[in-house]
Amino acid sequence: MKLLLAEDDAILADALSANLALAGFEVDVAPNGAVAEYLLLRQQFDLGVLDLGLPLVDGLTVLKRVRAARPTLPMLVLTALDGLDHRVAGLNAGADDYLTKPFDFPELEARIRALLRRTRSAAAASAQEMGRLSFDRDTRRAAIDNEAMELSPREWMLMDLLLTQRDKVVTKEQIAEAWAVDRGDANAGSIEVYIHRLRRKLDGSGLAIRTVRGLGYLLEAEAA
Amino acid sequence: MLSPFKLALRRMPGVTPGTRSLHRHLLLWLLLPQLVLWLAAAYVTYNVADRYANRAIDAALKTATRSLARQVKPIGNGLFIDFPKAAQDIIEADPDDRVYYMVSTPPGEFILGNNKLPPPPVNDARLGETYFYNGSMKEKSHQLGIRVAAMYLSFGDENAPQRMLVQVARSRASGEELARQILVDTALPLSGLVALMSVIVWGGIRTGLAPLARLRAEVEDRAPNDLAPIKLEAAPEEVRALVKALNSLLAQVHENVSVQKRFISDAAHQLRTPLAGLKSQTELALTETDNPGLQARLRRVHESATRSAHLINQLLTLARAEPESVAAQGRTRVDLRRLASEVTAELVPRGRHAGVDLGLDDGDEKPIEIHGNALLLRESLLNLVDNAIRYAGDGSVVTVRLSAQDSQAVLEVEDNGPGIAEADRERVFERFARATHEGNGCGLGLAIVKEIVERHTGTVELQAVQPHGLRAVVRLPRIVERKTVAV
Repeated sequence: MKLLLAEDDAILADALSANLALAGFEVDVAPNGAVAEYLLLRQQFDLGVLDLGLPLVDGLTVLKRVRAARPTLPMLVLTALDGLDHRVAGLNAGADDYLTKPFDFPELEARIRALLRRTRSAAAASAQEMGRLSFDRDTRRAAIDNEAMELSPREWMLMDLLLTQRDKVVTKEQIAEAWAVDRGDANAGSIEVYIHRLRRKLDGSGLAIRTVRGLGYLLEAEAA
Repeated sequence: MLSPFKLALRRMPGVTPGTRSLHRHLLLWLLLPQLVLWLAAAYVTYNVADRYANRAIDAALKTATRSLARQVKPIGNGLFIDFPKAAQDIIEADPDDRVYYMVSTPPGEFILGNNKLPPPPVNDARLGETYFYNGSMKEKSHQLGIRVAAMYLSFGDENAPQRMLVQVARSRASGEELARQILVDTALPLSGLVALMSVIVWGGIRTGLAPLARLRAEVEDRAPNDLAPIKLEAAPEEVRALVKALNSLLAQVHENVSVQKRFISDAAHQLRTPLAGLKSQTELALTETDNPGLQARLRRVHESATRSAHLINQLLTLARAEPESVAAQGRTRVDLRRLASEVTAELVPRGRHAGVDLGLDDGDEKPIEIHGNALLLRESLLNLVDNAIRYAGDGSVVTVRLSAQDSQAVLEVEDNGPGIAEADRERVFERFARATHEGNGCGLGLAIVKEIVERHTGTVELQAVQPHGLRAVVRLPRIVERKTVAV
């Protein structure tokens, strides 16, 4: 995976490029907007990490020009500004995600990987593994330690939702919305019943569905 | 430059209002001339009336004197006075307004009359001329003010000329009474007029000074950090000039304040990039060393950088909660119920990381709408829940609760942590005040909450929870839909 890092602060650029290299990425660094634009338009990158406050050509302009020439190139924006206006401006100019400085490196890495996953081939994105569970959306097959897991359409949707938002709260409204598409077995039981069934099926997978009081549910890896 | 006259006028007490109420000053200076006018009018009226009353009496006295003089006839060296009883009766007819007379020769030596009258205040009197003067005489036991007419006549032969004095007098009581009557008749309506004018002047001053009172109310009702220009509709020129001067001062202060705020905000932004560098370098160093002592130190550096970053973010949020920024950010209808569930859901992962069971206690699904800035309200709720997670500690339970009470939306964040001592519960809302030195907060969280809540005309307070814990209660005015009731 080849990334372009456009950051004018030498100390930050140095640390980020080293951290990204450690994380397994190939990194080119551009110290200003002009170089960033030149490299992004002339060379092949899988993703661009762009600081908005670049010298010579500012980040927003670079973003707009690159977006016009390379509509599919994922771009992540770093900014020292966090006002709502700046976020909107960045996203309007074509940023796929943004991160406010300062940040923890694992956060940046997670965002980069998420962006790459989103834009990589559909097949690569559709298969997901978590703990001992493998979940393939293409073949509609779920397995724990290669042992097939039987899921009804509603259970599948619920599991899909929980897995997509792993470690985050899935609200009951979101579940109801996902189910509304499927008219097959309306009123087949309450959310609680399905959660209960899923929990039984996930037994021994290393995953746990936690109830979040008043909000919904959350899928997380069980503490080892 | 002030002329010497103006300077002298200024030094005179009472001429300039000084610290006195302008209202009273104007009233004094408008009513004082009226009082002077009234007194002068009364004085002049009385004197004029008195003169005219005397003139009428004098005419009658003159006639009486001449008549009396005609009755006195010289016989040789003596006098023959032919004073018939009928005439005497006529003269003395009115018992209330008696006529006194005296014939004397040589002048002053009483020979005929019914009373002793004072001599005229003239030195070389001419014969045949009538003199009028005021005097007093003894009547029974008291002194009586009288108006006297006097005439000197000569008699006797040419070798031994003699003079006699004929005097007729009347009590001055009737004349004075008349003058007094005229005075009263004139002064009474005049007093009424003065009173009426005073009321009009008072009213005029009141309405004239009303714009000043409005200006005062406008300034008094202002929040201390509201630096928007004062708007005073239809104010007179003088007040408009004052408002203009005040507004230009406000604009200057506003400019200074915003320059300072912009500086704070710019500085905070500028600090973020170096901090990001510091964090990244530390993270890198952590992966590059196996020395446990060095790793521990690096982790402290990293934690310190994280704290600084948190502080900068909080400072920026506080700057955004300032009235000017709030005004610039605008307001919309915000569903507090939705906001609460979003913010709580967002913080659940952090809560789990800290070993805190975070949840929402909300049975209802109807929106609770308030008028406000969603971004700021979100920040304040984030801070409340973040505080609870930070300070309640591992194994505690944090609950966000929402309800609508009459015209208020009530938002509670309750934890079963150690709580805050009652003495500290007010203080923690101050900037940089902290109740504990545990955890890595920066002491701005509750100040931000207070600032934002107050900007939305709400209140926030901390309550103790039994047996232990803390409850932050935020009350905000909610939008109450008026249902049209069919009659």
